Amino acid sequence: MTTAAFGTHNWGMVVDVDKCIGCNACVVACQAENNIPINTQDRVERARSIAWIRVERYWIGDFPDAKAQFIPIMCQHCENAPCEPVCPVYATYHDAEGMNIQVYNRCVGTRYCANGCPYIVRFFNYWEPVWPESLRNHLNPDVTVRSRGIMEKCSFCVHRIRRVARGARSAGVEIADGAIQTACSSACPTSALNFGNFNDPNSKVSKMRDDKRHYTLLDQFGTDPNVIYLAKIDANKKVGAGEASSHG
Amino acid sequence: MQQRRELDQVYTNRKLLNGQLDTPKWWAPTVSILGVIVLLGLIVIAIMINKGLGVTGLSRPVYWGLFITTFVFWVGISHAGIMISAILRLTQAEWRRPVTRAAELLTVFSLLTALVFPLIHAGRPWRIAYWIMPYDVARGIYPNIRSPLIMDPVAISTYLIGSSLFLYIALLPDLGNLRDRTAGWKNAMYTVLALGWRGNPRQWKMQTVGGILLSALMLPIFVSVHSIVSWDFAIAAAVEGWHSTIFAPYFVIGAVHSGVSAVVTMMALMRWLWKWDDFIRPEHFDALARPLIVVATGWLGFTFLELTFALYGQDAPEIALREMQMFEWPWNLLFIIFFLTAYAIPVPMWLFKRVRTNIALMFWTSILVNIGMWLERFLIIVPGLARRTPFVYTWEAYRPSAVEWTIFIWSFAWVTFLMLLFSKFFPLVPLFEQKESQVFTDDVMIGRAKVPAIVREAD
Amino acid sequence: MKLNRREFLALTGKTAAGAVIFAACGLPERELIVQSPVDLPEDLVRGEDAWYATSMGDFTNGDGVLVRVMQGRAKKIEGNPDHPVNRGKATARYDSALQLLYSPDRIREPMLRYSKAGNLVGITWEQADTRFREALANADGALTVVTNPIRGHLGSVASKFAEQFNGKYMPFDPVEQGVLHGAVKSVFGQDQLPTFDISNAQTVLSFGADWLGTWGSPAQFGVKFGEFREQSDRGYLIHAEPRMSLTAAAADLWLAPIPGTEGDLALGIASVIIDEGLVSPQNVAAFDVAVSGGLNNYGVTDVASRTGISVDRIEMAARRFADHTPAVAFGGGSAGAHTNGSFNLGAIYALNVLVGAIDSAGGVVPNPGSAFGDVSASATGEPFEAWESEIANWRAGNVETVIIRGTDIVHGMPNSVAIREALDQVPNVIVFGAVHDDTMDFADLVLPELTFLETWGTDIPEPGPGYQVVGTQQPVVAPTIKRDESGLISNARGFGDTLLAMSDGSYGSSMERIVSDALSDLHDTGRGSVSASTAKLFTNGVMQRGGWWDTSEKGSSSVGKVMAAKKNAEYSETGSLGTGDDFYLAPFLSNSLLDGRLAASPWAQQTPDPVSSASWSTWAEINSIEAKDLGIREGDVLLIRSNSGEIEVLAYPHPGVRPGVIGIPIGQGHKNGGRYAEERGSNVLSILVDEKDSETGALAWAATRVRVQRAGRRVKVPKFEGNVEARPIEPGVPVLVVGIGETSEEAEKANHYEYQKRFLGKEKEADSNE
Ligand SMILES: Nc1nc2c(c(=O)[nH]1)N[C@H]1C(S)=C(S)[C@@H](COP(=O)(O)OP(=O)(O)OC[C@H]3O[C@@H](n4cnc5c(=O)[nH]c(N)nc54)[C@H](O)[C@@H]3O)O[C@H]1N2
Ligand code: SF4
Ligand code: SF4
Ligand code: SF4
Ligand code: SF4
Repeated sequence: MTTAAFGTHNWGMVVDVDKCIGCNACVVACQAENNIPINTQDRVERARSIAWIRVERYWIGDFPDAKAQFIPIMCQHCENAPCEPVCPVYATYHDAEGMNIQVYNRCVGTRYCANGCPYIVRFFNYWEPVWPESLRNHLNPDVTVRSRGIMEKCSFCVHRIRRVARGARSAGVEIADGAIQTACSSACPTSALNFGNFNDPNSKVSKMRDDKRHYTLLDQFGTDPNVIYLAKIDANKKVGAGEASSHG
Repeated sequence: MQQRRELDQVYTNRKLLNGQLDTPKWWAPTVSILGVIVLLGLIVIAIMINKGLGVTGLSRPVYWGLFITTFVFWVGISHAGIMISAILRLTQAEWRRPVTRAAELLTVFSLLTALVFPLIHAGRPWRIAYWIMPYDVARGIYPNIRSPLIMDPVAISTYLIGSSLFLYIALLPDLGNLRDRTAGWKNAMYTVLALGWRGNPRQWKMQTVGGILLSALMLPIFVSVHSIVSWDFAIAAAVEGWHSTIFAPYFVIGAVHSGVSAVVTMMALMRWLWKWDDFIRPEHFDALARPLIVVATGWLGFTFLELTFALYGQDAPEIALREMQMFEWPWNLLFIIFFLTAYAIPVPMWLFKRVRTNIALMFWTSILVNIGMWLERFLIIVPGLARRTPFVYTWEAYRPSAVEWTIFIWSFAWVTFLMLLFSKFFPLVPLFEQKESQVFTDDVMIGRAKVPAIVREAD
Repeated sequence: MKLNRREFLALTGKTAAGAVIFAACGLPERELIVQSPVDLPEDLVRGEDAWYATSMGDFTNGDGVLVRVMQGRAKKIEGNPDHPVNRGKATARYDSALQLLYSPDRIREPMLRYSKAGNLVGITWEQADTRFREALANADGALTVVTNPIRGHLGSVASKFAEQFNGKYMPFDPVEQGVLHGAVKSVFGQDQLPTFDISNAQTVLSFGADWLGTWGSPAQFGVKFGEFREQSDRGYLIHAEPRMSLTAAAADLWLAPIPGTEGDLALGIASVIIDEGLVSPQNVAAFDVAVSGGLNNYGVTDVASRTGISVDRIEMAARRFADHTPAVAFGGGSAGAHTNGSFNLGAIYALNVLVGAIDSAGGVVPNPGSAFGDVSASATGEPFEAWESEIANWRAGNVETVIIRGTDIVHGMPNSVAIREALDQVPNVIVFGAVHDDTMDFADLVLPELTFLETWGTDIPEPGPGYQVVGTQQPVVAPTIKRDESGLISNARGFGDTLLAMSDGSYGSSMERIVSDALSDLHDTGRGSVSASTAKLFTNGVMQRGGWWDTSEKGSSSVGKVMAAKKNAEYSETGSLGTGDDFYLAPFLSNSLLDGRLAASPWAQQTPDPVSSASWSTWAEINSIEAKDLGIREGDVLLIRSNSGEIEVLAYPHPGVRPGVIGIPIGQGHKNGGRYAEERGSNVLSILVDEKDSETGALAWAATRVRVQRAGRRVKVPKFEGNVEARPIEPGVPVLVVGIGETSEEAEKANHYEYQKRFLGKEKEADSNE
């Protein structure tokens, strides 16, 4: 039996915004999975907190018609990533499986990639990360602890991908759809976050991607993300109101 | 109208070599004070490198702040040297002579200073070697030449090497002169540096040709350097207010504006400090101020275009950026100061010859220009980052920390310190150029009429 | 077609750069990108990991979790995909609980206070045992065991222990659910909470309960909510709560009633349904039986004026609820935390009768009783009324020994009961815990307790999924011993095992034994998800799966009656400060800290609140327009004063809160609690006034009125949101909203039109630009 060669997968995420309830389970799960330093109060106040996935909350309208809209945002793993060409040292690059990779060891901390990224999902380590000795026990040995002075961001939990891929390879089987879950997609109670292989037309994410609600964030930048969003539904919205359909 | 008096060679030598042959009284205390500031700055830099960039006021998404602003500022200042020397040399503008050396020096020292900023602003400066050297040939990982951060050091170091050579070639005759007037270790130093300058016709010819060739070579570099610096920003499509196609000429012309103004400031200082009233004369200020009016107005046009593009594009994030930049506290205050100092106050004043030839007024207006031009860079770089993209949720503010301000001040002390140190060993006004112009402009008797030797003199 | 810059960029980005330039050179863009030959370290995965199934009863309502363990260290907690309650999904609190295991502030050894005025000093377990025995020996009949409401065998051990010494077992829950249990019992005749078949409902109508955030079983409800939205005819959620909670934010229709009028609102909805004849006469008849007293006072206009919600909205909710069935109504949380709480919840649950939603798909699904004879399927705190008399007893010196575990009662009790003074009068206060809490300041004996990751137990989810479920809890890491450089933590013991060691042994020798005996009994029934030849294999099988369930063992219910009394919306008038400008105080459970039990975890502290995005602090949510009128800006330090105290909080004005209401999260304001919690924020529970639900005597924790004053200081709110209020500056960016059946492209087009109209103020021009 043959197993998929490196590069036959195109990992991606489909985010159903209509299902996101803003619970932040994904945020904490990612924090725990990826050894993200503690966002102390000082870091939060100085807008230096690190959250590879964040849940943005937008206000619409005013009381009593006020609405809070949540949207989870992580690295979009752009096929045409504006963060990549600006990195002077190739510390961030695109790999053959559709992921934007961050090589901590090479990064010199110019923060240029962070300026290049329209999604503001790159986070700079302004300080050395510190944990009390006892809390270091929960650090994930699969994930590097980043030193100060370097950039980090969502990796699509690449170590989970590799772990499952390694198992599949030694067992001589293909990676089953859904066998790989990122920490965030695994936590998400409503299944707003869905992870999978876009190269497999039968995968859950491939099917979801064809939903008529699909859109990508900030498509004006032509980044061609591997994270696809499904639009939020407003059940009370009037559809096809004259002006919209007559226009265009 | 000639405003100068006739100077004899001995007077010229004594006056212009007064830095090297005998030291003015103010020199030692000034240099010591600057030295202390420089030292303090270096300590703060060391602390920052040791502790990490947490000591700055940077955040997410304001990843670049005072350091990059000051980097662009000094690169801008560096344009003065080439602007003055190369262009004027090629166009054979005679009035350039007393000004060229100081202008070139300013180029070299401001470039040296500018280069420090991207270095220390990096998170792990000790790994910067990875940037510039193809260090990992075995695994085929070269630096990423698509990144403006690779183009930057290439452009700037080319510029630095070119202008250093330029400076050196122009220094040779004076080095020979100094060698002949000194003894002891100084003599030994000048002997080595003078490269056997004897002042024979072949040497003069080569020196002149070399100067002209370098001038011609440097001009495209001068244009390229600030263009490339502007691409640091223009390439970042994600930052409102950065991704603009007019950035290259806009930055170059702005750099000329601030660089030439900095030369004006420096000339005024030199005239006061070394009492070089006979060499740096009001007509020189006049000659610099006149093109500045044109340059500044051209630059203003670009600034204006930048702002109208925002309105024309109907782009919500860009409009939000401009609103903040111009109307929100404290940016509105900075914007007003910027506009007044970079253009509205100095340029209309320069329209009057009385102002252009008034050294004090020229000194202060040129200082204003550089306050304004520094603010211009700040207002381009930071608000764009603070109002990134339509993700209103991540919009932030930025307040530079004391560490950043200290390093900012350090850079000024450092450039001044280097200039003064240089002045101790090398003439700030090129002796030979000065004398050459003296010969050109001395009155000669033609029949019974006393006329200037040449008619090229500016004025 | 008219382009704005955004669209222009989009076009050039996609076509010009992508196609024209590179196609012309014959080089696809990707060819120019060199894939770096360096790997990131994450590409090389080292070591083997193990995933253990267990439960975390103190932090969930019975969810099944998997704990990832590598080299004896717990690394991560995720949902257990096999477990029927949360089906592999998580909440924002799972991993935070893990940090309590490795908290640098874990109590390392037993501590004794020799006299009430003295300090706690470290002692050995032998000394602690002796002291404990003495305290029990003197306490016959004068013993009270206080815990959080514990489900499963640990709860029954605690209660049997109290019983053995003729003492009382009193679970304490600062955010009382007693009213809820009472209402459920009166409407459905059921002891344990039913579950709500949200997955199959067309319409969900909920009141006061933030079931997507913190109420009930959020992971379970979250999974169901995902399915609710996935239905072909997407479900419609109506939620009534005075402030924007997660559930309110997810709602298709958010109603923000004046606090305490939720029952009126429910009956107002009922009267619209009945008046408009939207449901069958049989249902109306059943409803009339359930709600004695009729709906005379609940005409829609009356209700609109009492609740502060427009007639339109009430009618809209009523029609949707009655027309799109199956529909389910439920409530709890703040809706029940009023003096008329029982009435409110009774009226709300009775709505199910009106739409025939009881015992049916998409409606209310009853839960069966416990699988174990001696363990109740339900756990709830004692009502506040009982607490008041209990604490009076303590103060009077009538109680010799109080054992406290799992709840920081000093932090949780309102000022009015003067708990500190009462504890001072109890000769033996014995407090169990992993991290120092405020109650331990009054303890005579502090016993370090093992966490759920180091101990045995069972858990019976409440609400369950509609059939019988038993969750199991096992030690997934070895109990940690003394401190040393490797970061090992604490010389602790399990609460259950400690009690058992002190007891006569009649109900078990150790928690491990109790659990295995119970599972062995379960094996004998021959039912359920695990079948095995021997009890031992069965036990292992259950432990491996994290529990046992029997999908055929379902619950039943009978429609009872809603009490007729207390129908009028009766907002705590005595709580009023008697001034015109006082606010209704709406305390709510923190999404990450809950009632504060997770405050010692830095992950819990740092997690942004979903609505305000604030962390590490206590803030007050106030309507933004009202705040503007009052001159209150974000970060203003506000003094919140009730009749029973005053706290300081940071103002966070936003549009999602009813004017006149001030929302403050529970969970901060600990004097102790480890480096991450102590002296942080303020404790809103302390200023609750002494108001009770008139039926059950439960604390009416949402029935306090407060006055709000600026302290004159302003600080930065530690929040994740940037420094401007986040409102989209362009319609549809970044959250694109479509109508039912609308495609994203159509929505984008409509947004473009909207943008041009708004932007240029020139409707015509946009129209003519085809
Ligand atoms: N017989 C014999 N004994 C020897 C030696 C010998 O040559 N022969 N050599 C000696 C020498 S020189 C050494 S250095 C020692 C080495 O002895 P050890 O320090 O025991 O080294 P390893 O056997 O490599 O085991 C390290 C463990 O760490 C785990 N690990 C890997 N990465 C991480 C991580 O990021 N986090 C955590 N928490 N765990 C991780 C690995 O899975 C592995 O289980 O042995 C000494 N003992
Ligand atoms: S989202 Fe940002 S960081 Fe991620 S690949 Fe795209 S540009 Fe790079
Ligand atoms: S911060 Fe690191 S990854 Fe980003 S551009 Fe600089 S070196 Fe590259
Ligand atoms: S995919 Fe992994 S790294 Fe990325 S946000 Fe989710 S949990 Fe974090
Ligand atoms: S876990 Fe899922 S529902 Fe919760 S905030 Fe994240 S994406 Fe949204």
